[in-house]
Amino acid sequence: MEILFAILRILFFPGLLFVAVGGLLLSGIDRKVLSRMQRRVGPPIVQPFYDFFKLMGKETIIPHHANRTVYLWAPVVGMVSLAVTMLFIPICGFSAFSGTADLLVVLYLLTIPAVCLIVGGSASGSPFAGVGISREMVAMMSYELPLVLVLLSVARQVGSLSLQDIAAYQAANGCLLFHWSMIPAALAMLLVIPAEAGCHPFDVAEAETEICEGPLAEYSGAPLGVFKLNHAMKLFVLTALFCALFLGGITSGIAPVDVLIVFALCAVVMIVCVTLLHGICARLRVEQVFKFYWTVVTGLALVSLILAWFGL
Amino acid sequence: MFKKLIAESAAKSPWVYHINTGSCNGCDIELVAAVTPRFDAERFGVKLAGTPRHADIVVVTGPVTAQSKERLIRTLEQVPEPRVIVAMGSCPNSCNVFKNSYAVEGPLDKYCHVDVTIAGCTPKPEAVLAGIVQAAEILKQKRRDMAK
Amino acid sequence: MSFSFPYLKYALGNLTKKTSCDMYPVVKKEAAAHYRGRIAYDSTKCVNCGMCMKVCSPGAITRTEEPVEGGKQITYRFDLTSCTFCAMCQDFCSEKAITLTGDYEMVGRAEELVTEETYFKAMPAGLPGISDDCVFCGLCAKNCPEEAITVDRPNKSWTVDEDKCIKCGKCVSKCPKKCLSFQMPQVKCGEGCVFCGLCAKNCPEEAITVDRPNKSWTVDTDKCVLCGKCVSKCPKKCLKL
Repeated sequence: MEILFAILRILFFPGLLFVAVGGLLLSGIDRKVLSRMQRRVGPPIVQPFYDFFKLMGKETIIPHHANRTVYLWAPVVGMVSLAVTMLFIPICGFSAFSGTADLLVVLYLLTIPAVCLIVGGSASGSPFAGVGISREMVAMMSYELPLVLVLLSVARQVGSLSLQDIAAYQAANGCLLFHWSMIPAALAMLLVIPAEAGCHPFDVAEAETEICEGPLAEYSGAPLGVFKLNHAMKLFVLTALFCALFLGGITSGIAPVDVLIVFALCAVVMIVCVTLLHGICARLRVEQVFKFYWTVVTGLALVSLILAWFGL
Repeated sequence: MFKKLIAESAAKSPWVYHINTGSCNGCDIELVAAVTPRFDAERFGVKLAGTPRHADIVVVTGPVTAQSKERLIRTLEQVPEPRVIVAMGSCPNSCNVFKNSYAVEGPLDKYCHVDVTIAGCTPKPEAVLAGIVQAAEILKQKRRDMAK
Repeated sequence: MSFSFPYLKYALGNLTKKTSCDMYPVVKKEAAAHYRGRIAYDSTKCVNCGMCMKVCSPGAITRTEEPVEGGKQITYRFDLTSCTFCAMCQDFCSEKAITLTGDYEMVGRAEELVTEETYFKAMPAGLPGISDDCVFCGLCAKNCPEEAITVDRPNKSWTVDEDKCIKCGKCVSKCPKKCLSFQMPQVKCGEGCVFCGLCAKNCPEEAITVDRPNKSWTVDTDKCVLCGKCVSKCPKKCLKL
């Protein structure tokens, strides 16, 4: 019975299906709001679903130089790791799995999709993918450090590495976002989200106008669809993580309403940190991304960590 | 049901890839104009794809010059099925004023089946949109035939 | 690293503004004035002068002439997928038979994108005739395949049998003095004319002058292109080619 429940959780709620639907809806909202910012009508909100199903029905071309197994399985591994990540992130105080140090697990699981992109790209044997994966690695290096510092400062503030405890702390003491020493960390996290999800000003790896979407250059059909799904899921997982870290404790008591509240919060966070930045910025160069994250964002996260360290 | 969903989706998310085979740039500019806020091709789900592997609709402009012929054929081969080829402007359809030039090896239908023709020199962005809408319908039909 | 976001205020401001989109397929839009779109061709006006083909730089206009009894079936075909929409054909058409309309929605299969119309043009029956230079050598009669020409050298007479002549032109090409030529028929005004002047009004080349008070009708043969328009417009059917 336990195992059956666990499987249901992994497959449906809050696992694969929930993250997939939520993520695709989020990226639909992203495209719609972005088009409104540019005074366009824009695609329907369900557009990412159309894109995904269309890609499922396309022919899958496997390049001559590609390593077939790795090429086809890399996106699936990324998708599974994202679905598993969601199991650890509490939605209104509830998470499917919990342990004493979920934050570390989440941190590791979050790197897997990026690694999958690198592995899949290098398996495709395309020179564009080669450029793309080297850029993706630089991007990873730049946003991982501030992400770790943000998680550390939150953990220091709460005094626990468990997301369950963080949710409980916020339920008792109010949102961490409104705690003054945590504001720099929240800002840093907001800036980490677009880089981690590969969104516009920081999408150096997938720059479709210069290196043909980098690691995805050779992908077509269903694997590409899964990579696009990964991108949407990452958006949802990261914004949900932000909500769990900084906007916890907002509950109404009724479970379905709570899920809707969390989803609305995720959408707001995404519009602020992903859509708005996409609307107003041009893409940065690789070294600009690196410099930006290791100075400004890391600085913000460090300030929070130091403040939390001294118990302020 | 799943097949129907995929066929419907195919019509609603046409990703466009653009090849210039020696065009004078007029058509290229009008194609880009079609994705600007005023015409907003994204209403139909159009996205400009970065690589031919992601494309559903291939828009070809230009009279297929001798230099671009090889590249054109190679690029078209890389587009996964179902795909629709749109010849935009007079040049790919008939080589326009460059007919019988030693440097031109068009028209396009020597090398592939052209599904939709957009006439005009250059077509208005509205005509480009009309062409893409028509191409999306053909895409849906091709997906249905593919599923059978 | 400097931070400035000049587009921030536009991005946020636009959220509350109406979209600037034309909503094209739902809201059809008229093309701008003098837009040069789909070619419209009015075959009833055409006189088959061929000027449009001469001025067309991409060679998008083709003409096919099919001889039928009493004239020709003439088809003008405007290939819109080959056209540059320069409107030279429109400018050069003396009859205003070609117009470039504001219809820009030229989308579909290539074979559908064609403007084509056929009309019947009655061919006037021409006969060879001689000029004053003739020396009555008789070469024309010798070369006539139908023996339609009779030359009587002593009497200096030259006749052609209208029923036998097939208008092959061999006599003309063999004439050493170049005195033979096809005499193109002329428009003639016969019995019953009321000098209404409709023919003069409809003549594309202004070759006809009608003087109503003096009851005179003249045609300038140099100007006449034998289009037959006057004949078709004559209310009394007194005009003949």
